[in-house]
Amino acid sequence: MSGHHISSAKFLWGVGITLFMLTILTVAVTWIHIPSPWNVVVAIAIAVVKALIVSAFFMNLYWESKFNVLLFVMSAAFFLLMIGITLLDTLYRNDPIPSF
Amino acid sequence: MAGHSATEEKLDHLQHHFIDSDQQFEASKMGMWIFLVTEILFFGGLFVAYIVYRAWYPDLYLLASEQLDTFWGAVNTFVLIGSSLTVAMAIRSAQLNQIKGLIINLWITIGLACVFMVIKYFEYAEKFAKGILPGSYYSYEGVAHEKANIFFSIYYMMTGLHGVHVIIGIGLMLWLVYKAKKKVFHSGYYTPVEITGLYWHLVDIIWIFLFPLLYLID
Repeated sequence: MSGHHISSAKFLWGVGITLFMLTILTVAVTWIHIPSPWNVVVAIAIAVVKALIVSAFFMNLYWESKFNVLLFVMSAAFFLLMIGITLLDTLYRNDPIPSF
Repeated sequence: MAGHSATEEKLDHLQHHFIDSDQQFEASKMGMWIFLVTEILFFGGLFVAYIVYRAWYPDLYLLASEQLDTFWGAVNTFVLIGSSLTVAMAIRSAQLNQIKGLIINLWITIGLACVFMVIKYFEYAEKFAKGILPGSYYSYEGVAHEKANIFFSIYYMMTGLHGVHVIIGIGLMLWLVYKAKKKVFHSGYYTPVEITGLYWHLVDIIWIFLFPLLYLID
């Protein structure tokens, strides 16, 4: 665990430019009109890749104590659990749409 | 890392209950990560609301997101990613004892954050003028869906809470500039810069998800 990883300026710019490119890509894929469920899948997939790049190389998780990585992974896992359990209710209601 | 060159090393920042500077730094950083976990779950609740309503009203999202301008959403994405880059450069400057570079990078970051908020202000103002307001205040006729207000309630909650985080970030970075000018930070102690950076990158990550989910539905 090296708490003081120093990235080179060149490397940080490379990470930034990669993120700019992925932003252009995520806008560009909307122009080719991917059919319905897949457009969301592609958009989320690109966003996840960008989030992983930011957390690994800007937030230094790549060089970080494994415990902090574990915290981050657990927050994602519990977030997915929150989505999953909520959808188990809302997707399977007999009277699906409430008044609000 | 206990290479003591006792005369060189500045230890004013070291609290008595830590063994050394590194242990204090690691403890602060872990505390920040635990805070970020709570932030992820805090925003997570709003993302769940988004998902539940999108599953219930898929066509609403298609119609209503036409009111959002993809161009300005994309510009703001570039602005925030750029500001993440400058924060990373600020931390690098602090690590290398380049206090002038640290201050310059912090000012650029503050500037970019202000650009983000100004663009957000014009986006909101344009919608308010049309009567696109959250919840029961909604009065716009241009979206052919009876639940149009729901999309915009979610939009305002998510982008609004994100905007509050950006404003808090601006405040934190002004405080860092003040401290840096008072020569508090050096390569042996830059913990506040590091953990403010972590916060700022998380705010960036949240926008990375908000942009495609709100602006890029077609």
